[in-house]
Amino acid sequence: MRRNVPAYTAVAACAIFFALLPFALSNYHRGIAAQVALYLIAILGLNVLVGYTGQISIGHSAFMAIGGYTTAIMSHYHHTNLIATLPLAFAITFVCGVLLGLPALRLSGVYLALATFALAVSVPQLPLKFSTFTGGSAGISANKIVTNTWLYGVSWSAAAIAFVFTWLLLRGRTGRAFRALRDSEIAATSSGVTLAIYKTLAFGVSAALAGVAGSLFVLATNGFAQPNEFSVTLSLKILVGAAVAGLGSLWGVLLGAAFIALLPTISASAPLIGSTHGQDVVFGLFVIAVMILLPTGVAGLVPRLRRRWART
Amino acid sequence: MGRKVRFVAVLAGLALVASAAATAAPGAHRADPGVTATTIKIGGTFPLTGVASLYKVIPAAEAAYFAYVNAHGGVNGRKIDFSILDDAYDPSKTVPLTQQLVEQTGVFADFGSLGTAPNLSIWKYLNDHKVPQVLIATGDSYWGFSAKKYPWTIGYQPDYPGEGKVYGKYIATTSPNAKVGVLYQNDAFGKNYFAGLRVGLGAKKSQIVASQSYDPTQTSLVQQILALKSAGADTFVIFALPSQAITALVTATKVGWTPTTFLGNVSANPLFLHIAAQNGANVDGVISTGYLIDALNQGQASLPGTALMKSIISTYAPSLVPSMNAGDANVPYGLGAAWTFVYALQHAGKTPTRAGLMKALKSMTNVKDPFLYPGITLNTSAKDNFPTEQEILTKWAGGATGDWVGFGKLYGKVR
Repeated sequence: MRRNVPAYTAVAACAIFFALLPFALSNYHRGIAAQVALYLIAILGLNVLVGYTGQISIGHSAFMAIGGYTTAIMSHYHHTNLIATLPLAFAITFVCGVLLGLPALRLSGVYLALATFALAVSVPQLPLKFSTFTGGSAGISANKIVTNTWLYGVSWSAAAIAFVFTWLLLRGRTGRAFRALRDSEIAATSSGVTLAIYKTLAFGVSAALAGVAGSLFVLATNGFAQPNEFSVTLSLKILVGAAVAGLGSLWGVLLGAAFIALLPTISASAPLIGSTHGQDVVFGLFVIAVMILLPTGVAGLVPRLRRRWART
Repeated sequence: MGRKVRFVAVLAGLALVASAAATAAPGAHRADPGVTATTIKIGGTFPLTGVASLYKVIPAAEAAYFAYVNAHGGVNGRKIDFSILDDAYDPSKTVPLTQQLVEQTGVFADFGSLGTAPNLSIWKYLNDHKVPQVLIATGDSYWGFSAKKYPWTIGYQPDYPGEGKVYGKYIATTSPNAKVGVLYQNDAFGKNYFAGLRVGLGAKKSQIVASQSYDPTQTSLVQQILALKSAGADTFVIFALPSQAITALVTATKVGWTPTTFLGNVSANPLFLHIAAQNGANVDGVISTGYLIDALNQGQASLPGTALMKSIISTYAPSLVPSMNAGDANVPYGLGAAWTFVYALQHAGKTPTRAGLMKALKSMTNVKDPFLYPGITLNTSAKDNFPTEQEILTKWAGGATGDWVGFGKLYGKVR
């Protein structure tokens, strides 16, 4: 019990920091800080799948699209309270995630990557097909625009809930089962872990978190949902964030989210690079550098340093 | 110690008074955001990269026009400082970039931002903040028809349904027995065009023998073209984005179909017709509409707008000279939009205000934008939020090195 004291202190310090942060930020920066929270939720979700159960997904932009459209459509047609659309997005994308988890049982590695890639490509086509309901390529808007302060509060509250939820899920029996699956499916099955249940559960939880992130993503885009926003590159961005964070770690996620939310903004105003092609190049170079120098992500840095310390 | 504290307190008090005075003093006749004694900051979002990056010529031409105006003393002594940000045609990038323009850069107006979806994503935000969203580069009719709900937004070019109507009227009067086949993009853009065509055809609407749609990501149109051909259509109307329009023209020729072809203005940039012809399409006789001057057109060489375009581009944007000489319509488009903005600024008061800018843009009577086709003028009113409402029918001649030639009268009330 006493060993957990530093961890609790860290959690409390984080909570106080993020509660006070908006007072120190301009309205514009509050909006960007809110984006960090929404990417944090998405990366948490992907981390459950990739980091803990060892399944890959390039399809998370599709779940974000489903969550985002849920918010936009509910608000547009039914004037649903925007906060109420978040649990709804969670529920709907959970079901979608479980449904995708079923075929994923038979696929692994590069085949699973391809299947989820197909999902990422095909889901943004659906709003075009059912354009009378979804607005087609002209998109659909929620019935009101939220302020950046509102967005900050809701996004970071959702991120805190998602973090605690994931932590509770992963620390106990379920987390052990997930990790066992990742390390050896045969060993896990022979120890009584039901493969089908845990694999689909991981997909469901992961998708549900992406769905909530998608809802917040749409709210951050002035409540405007449009197919172009949810391209495969969004999936890749989240995957990069998860890799930078260090797969299989919860603490690195914050840094991973900050990385993908802030770097494009920072590099856009860097000298020589400007707002055109350059920012993708910087983004790419940074990712390569992180992967070479920190193969276990930022989260792996601390144990590595500690080990080096011990050696000398 | 005590004296020190008192000294600091007095200093703090003085500072407070000074800051209060500083905010109060200009308060009496405070200028709108983005306007100082020497500059006017404006900005916009454009696809400099990505699928629609062909349009990056537009902001470059606009910047060239502003550089020209600045070199000649600016607007009432103020220089225009134009920020061009790259949203890659992706609304999720448009939103934070626009917030950056409004809240960080503190622009006076969002000028010329490109694309229907990107502009839709910032429509409400800019109107809520009372930031002018002006002369935006999209031909959808939302902007014109929603002026009451969104008073801070106005477009520039003629709108798509209006243009569709022109083709419909022309077909109904010149060849009332035509069998019309329509190819359109399966989204708001293509459907609005198509709706306009039906309105224009009026009673002759029944002459549409077949219509085929495609999705924006589709690359082959063989199926659609064959279906239109086998339905017996002798008139082919194309409402497509550039790459599909080129494919449609090439495919029609390859399957041996020789209808009278109409091509929506969005894809009628001479560059695209040259590409289509080089790939084997028979483009002579294709009919479209125009509203801009044309660098390739020999008949327009002596127009003041053409001369001005050539001198501005060669002095302030030499990198655009090849585009201009290839007939790229984005060059006169950018110059024309920038010209209109400067015109409105000049009429927005000595120290321009946002409200003044909108008023100037909504009270134009026969304003002669030199970069528009001869005879076309800008007209708006409190009730009319469509700046350009005239078009000329054009016909292509000269194959792979050819150009559009205007014919007939100017069509008015294009909306």
